[in-house]
Amino acid sequence: MREVRFIQAINEALLEEMKRDETVFIFGECVRGGTFPHTNGLFEKFGKDRVLDTSISENAIAGAAVGAALAGYRPIAELMFSDFFLIAGDEICNKAAKWRFTHGMKLKMPIVYMASTGGYIRSDSEHSQSVESLIMHTPGLRIAIPTTPYDAKGLLKTAIRDDDPVVYLYHKLLLTKKGEIPDEEYTIPFGLADVKKEGKDVTVVAVGFMVDLSLGVANKLQERGISVEVIDPRTLEPFDIDTIVTSVKKTKRVVIVDEDTLRCGVTGEIGMQIMEKAFDYLDAPIQRVAAANCPIPAGWYLEEHVLPQPPDIAAAILKVLGKDMDISDMKKEKVGFDAVKAFGDLGITKVKQN
Amino acid sequence: MLTKEQKMKLYTNLVRVRKLDEIMVKGVLSGKVCGHWSSQKGQEAVGVGATTFLRKDDYIFFCHRGHGITTVIPKGISPRAFIAEHFSKNSGACQGMGCLHVADMEYGAPGLSGSLGGDFVLAAGMGIAAKMRAKGQVVVCIQGDGTYGRGTFHEAALMAANWKLPIVWGVENNQYMVFTPTSDIFPKENMADLAFGYGMPGVVVDGQDVVAVFEAFQTAIERARAGEGPSLIECKTYRIEPHTYGMVDKRCAGLRSPEEIEPWVKKDPVNLFQERLLKEGVLTQADVDRIDREAIEEMEEAERFATESPAPDPQILKQVLYWK
Ligand SMILES: Cc1ncc(C[n+]2csc(CCOP(=O)(O)OP(=O)(O)O)c2C)c(N)n1
Ligand SMILES: [Mg+2]
Repeated sequence: MREVRFIQAINEALLEEMKRDETVFIFGECVRGGTFPHTNGLFEKFGKDRVLDTSISENAIAGAAVGAALAGYRPIAELMFSDFFLIAGDEICNKAAKWRFTHGMKLKMPIVYMASTGGYIRSDSEHSQSVESLIMHTPGLRIAIPTTPYDAKGLLKTAIRDDDPVVYLYHKLLLTKKGEIPDEEYTIPFGLADVKKEGKDVTVVAVGFMVDLSLGVANKLQERGISVEVIDPRTLEPFDIDTIVTSVKKTKRVVIVDEDTLRCGVTGEIGMQIMEKAFDYLDAPIQRVAAANCPIPAGWYLEEHVLPQPPDIAAAILKVLGKDMDISDMKKEKVGFDAVKAFGDLGITKVKQN
Repeated sequence: MLTKEQKMKLYTNLVRVRKLDEIMVKGVLSGKVCGHWSSQKGQEAVGVGATTFLRKDDYIFFCHRGHGITTVIPKGISPRAFIAEHFSKNSGACQGMGCLHVADMEYGAPGLSGSLGGDFVLAAGMGIAAKMRAKGQVVVCIQGDGTYGRGTFHEAALMAANWKLPIVWGVENNQYMVFTPTSDIFPKENMADLAFGYGMPGVVVDGQDVVAVFEAFQTAIERARAGEGPSLIECKTYRIEPHTYGMVDKRCAGLRSPEEIEPWVKKDPVNLFQERLLKEGVLTQADVDRIDREAIEEMEEAERFATESPAPDPQILKQVLYWK
């Protein structure tokens, strides 16, 4: 085992898969230089035919990926920000997702659409969105959202080898996160949730970066005698409801946490699946925590009122347990992104603030 | 021909925008600016030349670079509103909700598309409205070279050409799209050639020369006001700063060489115009010093105003989404 950053884990998966299979290539905006540096070193190794910089052309990136896939290649389309999936909605949701279905099941669509996702970066509403609800909603797309370096590498390798289109989202706040990965080759199958922390009082199903927030809250509540189980589905399609049901049978209480908008978000879908499969085991109504029903405001002050915060998760856990407890200490803690530090750590920027 | 007063105004705007850029860099370093800052230093002549003499009721769309600094300031939005927005204060142009998205419809500036290239089609719509209203308004839409890769440009350009909409498309070609040289993503020497497929005039102009930019836009604007339809103007310039402040400065996978940048630092649009006006006798050294001092005072006062302004009240979130 060795310790790597999340972004290095992605980089390793790309390097290994491009080496293993000559039909794998990557293209998008600035993949040679790497605005998010997970593509660093690819151009030097594989050259200009397999590492291609495009203009700002999301429709062509997403659509050309479909074309190249139909013609026998395995493209990785890097879209930089998941917000731009909305630009390429036709190519991703109407072509990649539907053409195998509508064209006699003979077409292979081995595409990975990858992009950074999520907020807490105090940027604008068109660079901070979470789109997992839209993707999970669209039949025909796989979706993987890793939360550790181990998962990032293993899931990306599986995504590249999959013959269906996979949306692969990396959260901006996880890029610098460190974790262990094995030296030897490994992949992680889709549709297998991971119990990130075992517990007996309540099940928290958390998606993407919310896993980290939930683990933080779970550890704090542990000190106060509450045992929280945190489950990371890792892929939303396919979705491993069985692992969650097993947990619910044990804890009898569920909180679901997601960064996307509450209304019609994945929390509603997951909650309903639990209702259908494990209603008889529930001792309390399911609680959910997600973003408020509005775009994500830019600036220093308002984002925290829209995106889920640790005290929101703690409050939901206490509510589902029917407990009253002082969590005012948690309210002081803010989830924020020190861009200057993070991008400094990644070698993207060097700004000395005074 | 520009009058002496007009030349002074162009020069003053160049200086104001340059000083505002310096305040923004300071704001990044002190941690007051929320988010990043993409300096437009060295490219100011494009926006300033294009927009200084627009009518207040004309519409503008601007590049992400500088977050509109070279167009919204000449158009009339106050530096106070600009800086306060970047400090995310409630006195900002968007009440601290937009940050780098400065907007004010009173000055015909509806904002900036975060997904670049989203503006082209909106500009087409404003062109439709301007034509219907028949008051001689124009739409000036300036975007970066990389942004012209978006298919939205084709759809908007076609619509504008078909319906002779009063739009001037500007390309601010600074020869880079983040780390990618424009020559790698555009197959021809001139992006102005894009115009010909749509049957509109396409002009190349020296983007370091504020007068040349002004004249090219003036011709296109008059044509648009007269109902003769859109034009496209490519301004050749160069990004001397990294993509965003403090970012590593790459070209493709390697680093950009200082030798490449240097000749362009010498072609600084503010210095070039200043030398010219001094030579022409339009400006004296005393004028230069005064304009500098006044611009610094204006920007420093605006910075103080922004710093002292309160943060937005979270209650605002309850009202912002819908009118009722
Ligand atoms: C649709 C879209 N794709 C990608 C981005 C990310 N991005 C921000 S600035 C930029 C480069 C813009 O290049 P250009 O238009 O030449 O403007 P410049 O930065 O050179 O001023 C990119 C790719 C974006 N904001 N929107
Ligand atoms: Mg450019």
